[in-house]
Amino acid sequence: MGTIVSILVLVLFLTAILTGGYNKKFLQRVQGSNMWDWLTTVDHKKIGIMYLGAGGFFFLIGGLEALLIRVQLFYPNNDFIVGDTFNQLLTMHGTTMIFFVAMPLLIGFMNVAVPLQIGARDVAFPFLNALSFWLFLGGGIMLNLGWLFGGAADAGWTSYVPIASNQFSPGPGVDYYVLGLQISGIGTLIGGINFLVTIINMRAPGMTFLRLPLFTWTTFVTSALILFAFPPLTVGLLLIMFDRIFGSHFFDAAMGGNSLIWQHLFWIFGHPEVYIVILPAFGIISEVISTFSKKRLFGYNSMVFATILIGFLGFMVWAHHMFTVGMGPVANAIFAVATMSIAVPTGIKIFNWLFTMWGGRLQFTTAMKFAVGFIPTFVMGGVTGVMLASPPADYQYHDSYFVVAHFHYVLIGGTVFGVLAGVYYWWPRMFGHKLNERLGNVHFWLFFIGFHLTFLIQHWLGLYGMPRRVFTYQAADGLTWINQVSTVGAVMMGVATLVFLYNVVYSRKSATAASAERDPWDGRTLEWAIPCPTPEYNFAQLPKVRGLDAWWMEKMAGNKELEPAEPLQPIHMPSSSYRPILMSLGFFVSGLGFIFRTIEVGVLGLVMVFLLMFTRSFEQDHGYHIEVDQIKEAEKGA
Amino acid sequence: MKANAEQTKNQTAVQTSQESAWKHVTSFAVMIVLTAIAFAAVATNLVPSHLLVPLLLTLAAVQVVVQLYTFMHLNQKGSGFPVAFMASGIFIGVISAVALMILV
Repeated sequence: MGTIVSILVLVLFLTAILTGGYNKKFLQRVQGSNMWDWLTTVDHKKIGIMYLGAGGFFFLIGGLEALLIRVQLFYPNNDFIVGDTFNQLLTMHGTTMIFFVAMPLLIGFMNVAVPLQIGARDVAFPFLNALSFWLFLGGGIMLNLGWLFGGAADAGWTSYVPIASNQFSPGPGVDYYVLGLQISGIGTLIGGINFLVTIINMRAPGMTFLRLPLFTWTTFVTSALILFAFPPLTVGLLLIMFDRIFGSHFFDAAMGGNSLIWQHLFWIFGHPEVYIVILPAFGIISEVISTFSKKRLFGYNSMVFATILIGFLGFMVWAHHMFTVGMGPVANAIFAVATMSIAVPTGIKIFNWLFTMWGGRLQFTTAMKFAVGFIPTFVMGGVTGVMLASPPADYQYHDSYFVVAHFHYVLIGGTVFGVLAGVYYWWPRMFGHKLNERLGNVHFWLFFIGFHLTFLIQHWLGLYGMPRRVFTYQAADGLTWINQVSTVGAVMMGVATLVFLYNVVYSRKSATAASAERDPWDGRTLEWAIPCPTPEYNFAQLPKVRGLDAWWMEKMAGNKELEPAEPLQPIHMPSSSYRPILMSLGFFVSGLGFIFRTIEVGVLGLVMVFLLMFTRSFEQDHGYHIEVDQIKEAEKGA
Repeated sequence: MKANAEQTKNQTAVQTSQESAWKHVTSFAVMIVLTAIAFAAVATNLVPSHLLVPLLLTLAAVQVVVQLYTFMHLNQKGSGFPVAFMASGIFIGVISAVALMILV
């Protein structure tokens, strides 16, 4: 009861503040502030930057967790972090990096780049886009609250039952995991649907499907994967929540349940999830390699085909995470063959990137270095993937550091390299100045060498018998020097990240008005045809698209601007809304209520969400227009 | 010229609406027959009981397709994406469900 009262008081306080209980002037000052603008924005460019900022913040947290893990493993029998705290670290590192780093960073780029690449003024549902972001942030904060209140999740990022059941994980740790992921999952699902609708319906005239830039294509396929893969996760999390909070027995063998159901549900989601975090990176790499080779992407059609095929096959292979469960040789063989077949479309992509570079005028900017570093690194991760796909061999590799090395090669060598390439590539589009290339060079080499130092040797660490997720080893095991090399590499990656952060500050400080170029890389796709900084309406007139690499075609034809497909006319814009952040707050309160077993508070939070939805349906909001003379003035200024 | 084009367009519109009216009536009849078969199969005991459930499920599946195509207008132009996404969703759902039934 006490909790309810204090929450009600808090809500009343917030209402008083937000409705101007203090005075009108205060309210006006709040609404005129920059902060209010960002909190209520529905502009895809700002939402993309917030996604990248929040994802970057969680990246630092997850990286710090990784460093602590590596410090603990530096000496045999070390007692720096042991037992339950170590379990929390490895669980939170994995969960954070997949759900709150890889996904938001990629979704951030989708927000920043996709509407611009297809010649649209915003995504299809700007309000829902803001809601997606705030739900993701709410979920991420909720997961990490575990560190402060009652212990973080400690059942591994896969959260297998029965370890994740009340019996073996008492305390709120796993509840933070379940509700944090559930809330951010709603946001991701909304975001996926939003991008599907955007790409199907909002393309500029002439932008046919086979003229879409490859990053847009991978976004499209990724969004479809989100649409089909997240419901199984939602169901799985709901079952675990009912088992833990309401005393059901879905996963309790003693009561007729079956813990295997969780593993299947998790991996039916989990395997498409790894393609959700790699396909957009493929897209970024394709854009970067094509731009800095000064060539059309080699085999564009086969790239599109390979993307769709990977997305499709991604749903047929989940059980390869469960070879040692005992499904029998037939099931294992089927899933093994399906898994190996994914190497074919992936190989198509690798060769297409190489052939794009072949004979191109290569420019090794930092973005290009990350893209080129990506290719061999990802191939190595892919090869160990095929090795792991063979069930007899998998019995040897299973739950060893070999697996750890494999998935870090694809997730860092694939996703993170792709994201960093995207950061250097799109930074001028987002912030109006390039990142310093000299510091970028240092960043790349430190990160690249540090990465291989950390993880290459972990393959052997696994083959020599070190199990994953274990907090120590003995001096007699002969694993000491390997672990020490690995830790040194991890520290190098940490230093590289500091160099990057310094680069961000340094480049911003040394940026001048002259550094705002609209097309700094001599780009190929539509986003580089827009004035810099990007006006809030993106395109004064929607462009007419005549082919693949539309902006490059216009430049080759000697045109300074895109050919407009419509006369200059007032532009309809969506208005900002304070509702998304409040809805997310409602879900957040509700989640906390369920975590602390105060069902009343849980219901209260949901009521808040439904009230906000209900009142919104009566809100008369038709947005606003930017008039022609305002557009003309803005275009002249740019 | 333009008026002519307009007229032809209107005529085709009338024709298609007549056609689709007949289509609606036919599919409505088909659906009633399917429902009747389902009822009869259960009520008369003519179908052996181990075949009953598969038969009912098949009839239901046919009904769903007929409904979606004639009454939810999936047969019209521009519904390629909804069809593709529904088909993929059903495909993935069936595979997952069957695998869960066999493997768990």
